[in-house]
Amino acid sequence: MEFQMAVKHLYLLLFAVMAMLIFTSCEAEYFPEPSIDGPKYVVEGYIEAGPEANPAFLFLTRTFNFYSEIGAADFDSSYVHDAIVDVFDGSKTVRLQEVCIDDLDEESKKQFAEVFGFDADSLAYNFCIYIDVFNVLQAKEGRTYELNITVDGDTITSTTYIPIHVPLDSLTFLAPPGDPNDTLAQLACYISDPAGEQNYYRILGATNGGALETGLAGVEEDLYFDGKSFEFQLLNPQTSNGDVDPEVFGLYFVGDTVTIKWASIDEATFDFWNTLEFAQANQGPFSSYTRIQTNIVGGIGVWGGYSVSYYTKIVDY
Amino acid sequence: MIGRFGRKNFFRQKIPLKFVTRQVEIRFDYLRMSRRYMRSIFILLLSFFFFEALAQKEYTVNGYVKDRRSGETLIGANVFLEQNPSIGTVTNTYGFYSITIPEGKHRIVFSYLGYQAITEEVTLVANTNLTINLSQGVEMQEIVISEKAQEEDDHIESTAMGRVTLPIEQIKVLPALLGEVDILKTLQLLPGVSSAGEGSAGFYVRGGGADQNLVLLDEAVVYNSGHFLGFFSVFNADAIKSTTLIKGGIPAVYGGRLSSVIDIQMKEGNNQQFQTEGGIGTISARMTVEGPIVKNKGSFLVSGRRTYGFDLAQPAINKTDFKGTNYFFYDLNGKVNYQFSQKDRIYLSGYIGRDVLTFAQPGRDFQFKLPYGNGTATLRWNHLFNNKLFFNLSAIYNDYKFKASFAQEQFQFEVASGVRDYSAKFDFDFFPSTTHQLKWGLHATNHKLSPNVVTGSSGDVEFASTVTPKYGNEYALYLQDDWKISPRFRINLGMRGTMFQQIGAYTSSLTGRVYKSGEVVKTFSSLEPRIFLTTTLNPNASVKAGITSTTQYLHLVSNSTSTLPADVWVPSSELVNPQRGWQYAAGYFQNLNNNMYEASVEVYYKALKDQIDYRESYVDNSVQEVESEFVFGEGEAYGAEFFIRKNKGKLNGWVGYTISKATRTFPDIENGRVYPTTYDRTHDLSVVANYKFSSKLTGGFVFVYATGKTFTPPQSIYLIDGGFQTDYGPRNSQRLEPYHRMDVSLTYTPRPDSQKDFKSYWVFSIYNVYNRKNTFFVYTDYDSDLQAGSATISAYKVSIFPIIPSITWNFKWQ
Repeated sequence: MEFQMAVKHLYLLLFAVMAMLIFTSCEAEYFPEPSIDGPKYVVEGYIEAGPEANPAFLFLTRTFNFYSEIGAADFDSSYVHDAIVDVFDGSKTVRLQEVCIDDLDEESKKQFAEVFGFDADSLAYNFCIYIDVFNVLQAKEGRTYELNITVDGDTITSTTYIPIHVPLDSLTFLAPPGDPNDTLAQLACYISDPAGEQNYYRILGATNGGALETGLAGVEEDLYFDGKSFEFQLLNPQTSNGDVDPEVFGLYFVGDTVTIKWASIDEATFDFWNTLEFAQANQGPFSSYTRIQTNIVGGIGVWGGYSVSYYTKIVDY
Repeated sequence: MIGRFGRKNFFRQKIPLKFVTRQVEIRFDYLRMSRRYMRSIFILLLSFFFFEALAQKEYTVNGYVKDRRSGETLIGANVFLEQNPSIGTVTNTYGFYSITIPEGKHRIVFSYLGYQAITEEVTLVANTNLTINLSQGVEMQEIVISEKAQEEDDHIESTAMGRVTLPIEQIKVLPALLGEVDILKTLQLLPGVSSAGEGSAGFYVRGGGADQNLVLLDEAVVYNSGHFLGFFSVFNADAIKSTTLIKGGIPAVYGGRLSSVIDIQMKEGNNQQFQTEGGIGTISARMTVEGPIVKNKGSFLVSGRRTYGFDLAQPAINKTDFKGTNYFFYDLNGKVNYQFSQKDRIYLSGYIGRDVLTFAQPGRDFQFKLPYGNGTATLRWNHLFNNKLFFNLSAIYNDYKFKASFAQEQFQFEVASGVRDYSAKFDFDFFPSTTHQLKWGLHATNHKLSPNVVTGSSGDVEFASTVTPKYGNEYALYLQDDWKISPRFRINLGMRGTMFQQIGAYTSSLTGRVYKSGEVVKTFSSLEPRIFLTTTLNPNASVKAGITSTTQYLHLVSNSTSTLPADVWVPSSELVNPQRGWQYAAGYFQNLNNNMYEASVEVYYKALKDQIDYRESYVDNSVQEVESEFVFGEGEAYGAEFFIRKNKGKLNGWVGYTISKATRTFPDIENGRVYPTTYDRTHDLSVVANYKFSSKLTGGFVFVYATGKTFTPPQSIYLIDGGFQTDYGPRNSQRLEPYHRMDVSLTYTPRPDSQKDFKSYWVFSIYNVYNRKNTFFVYTDYDSDLQAGSATISAYKVSIFPIIPSITWNFKWQ
């Protein structure tokens, strides 16, 4: 897994080292010209299969102009309301319901907020999703799901496939590499990748019951390891994203409870997340820009099918 | 007369006599003219080799033009008759000349910029060998121009267009970033050449891509001409004799790239006496040793350069968590030559350069190593078949290797790529008369191009990408004639026929067919006409026009704003067509004030076919063949270049200004929208000067101004997975603010007239004098608190080189 991560971030590392050691660069803020095309629809949709799968849901928002400060009112107005969101599984069409946090009773609000990592009491805006509330779809591996959204006379469509799940064989916490340190651990995972087929994976992690998040390399494809059984180090999203501390980069803290969400995804979903990660990591002198690849027609974003498994362990070795 | 040409039947037609007469006259004129014309052509053809010889007995004077002190041959020195400067020639790449003139007394002038001209009086009664040693002027700036030395001016009379030769002495007195004298950065100061970015040695010529420049070091192709991510070029100025940029009329002798040729010749080494020179700069130290093997017959040169900044910092770095981290680059040039006889000379030259980065974090058992660089070796044999026919055989090896490796505990990873060429070149220079100079030759190259091959291991399990090297054979056959049709008209006619074969071992990704080693997969060929015409209006002015057709079989596509060490060269193949280009150029050339100034205005139009870029949303995975990520399109570039150069006097330098446009169109990029390239510069101005205050003090000055680079702007933002993402606007649809910068330098020689063997001088240089914050790149940053419903969205422009002073101490000992 680290292979691709290494390649992806080769230049970043190279430049960072050199720039850090030699040049004192100078930054100045500027303000890009706003979009001339008007806002676009943004879809972030998930449909999952597996024992602990979530019901299908999606966020439907609009793009923001490039303002320097965005407030709660802007968040509020970014949600697209009253859309007709249908999912067709090949035999039946299920309509997702729009649910906004402000419409829920206190108990539901709390549960709802927790799933997405919010504190319901202090959330500053009306957070909305479209969801298959009663999980009528019961999504399954090996099936294709069509999305059809109608809103304000516009049509947004997409299709995704939920691949057959490839689970991890096992997860083991080990002592960290290099100097002994009994407060840190690395996570060694084992996987047997099926031979002769292209497999794509997405990995998320949560610590002590928090929200799931992605790390430095949140998606992988099996180009390097097709059909192999091997061990790899799974970086802790919490310590490998954002401002990283080289001392704890990718490592876990002994005593924490860690949940790993391991998902098999289709190629289009992989392309979306892969280009998103690449775009984030490769701004600047080594890549002029990367357009995030979408599988949405009539908007941008992703409608992704996942077959998932969850692993929860206490960090110890 | 009429009866002589008219036939009886012709007069039987019922046509009014007057008209008939006119018809006949016309017919007669036509016949007379066509006969005269045919005869003229015939005579011209005859004269090609024989007429002049028959008209009057002629003899050939041939030899070499050399520097008196070092014995270095001088490339492009003028050789002409004093009484008729239009009869003359210039020395070739090896300093050889041949001029065939009538028997009798002649005064032959030998001149070279920066040297005192010599006039030799010869009485020709037989073929004569005459090797001339020219002395450098007391100082280049103080040459007195003799009124009689009305030299045949290459600038006005030659068919060369868009061609500039920069003597290394001129480059050395100009300001340089961190004191590192840089040939490629100096070339960027010429019109039509734009920089790849702040401080970069990468460059673009007349709207062509970065891979479309043929960079030659002693005839060997240099595939990556930059150190330290392209901030410094790989050419150590101490080892270089001359640099020629050809951006317009590329003669048929060169090929393989669409846009330009940068022909760099290494010094041969002093064949008169031993000499050591070197210097210690802000970031590097240099040393060159040269001397005779046998005086006047052979010499050697060894030259090295290495950065030392991180070496000095090692004690401090080793006290941190990053013990073992280091970075340096070095260059090593070597050359030997030996003249076995009057007719035979051998040259062997080589270059190796490497960048070596090690990043270590022992506490985490982590190590990252990144070595990359070029190596070249050139063996050349000059042979004179006779005093008019010069032959050179070159055998060339060159490679470029890139490797990056990571290691942590049981996990290892390595990515490697590169290019390796074996070449053979047979080149003939034939000087049949003063009106013709013919060149022909055959070039053959075997290429091996390795894509990014990834290997790794995790414990006992090994990983490897499935991509394999690609192979190709490239051939070129050329013939060109530089023909002085009359004292006013001169034409350079050339034809280059090229062929490229993709060969095995290869497994077709289209058909699955497996090709054995050497088996031909795909063949491409091309005929590339090169036609350049010069009309001399008067001894000081000429008009030139030319057409250049070029084909490029090797390609490098970069996803970044300039090229990077890991960018991969790929050959034309069943997946990738050769790039093709046509350039149409015209120019007006004028010398002023008794050749004190030379000025030119050139316009060009370029049409580029089968241009290559990555598809949109391309992500480098280093596993799949990059060819599968390519899209293909067309390009267009046009512009006008204004150039005035002062070559002599205390103040010399030049002003160059370019107004231009360069666009690309790819059906698969934004549905075929025409977009400007990242190196499209509407305005580009350079002012370059050096001034000799006294024999101790010389000042250098550079000012550049260019329209801001295009970039793809962030247009809007959107929320995904709790974070903000950027939605970009159309490609290259906005520009950064204009780029401008001023650099100055001062060269101080404490004892210029010292007769001691050891001499030294100091160069003080200031880069970016007024601390202009030119944008190097832009990026966006998001700081959001989803719980609070607030976010700060920022876009930043980053500039990297503020005002940078530097000091270099140089010495020479002989």
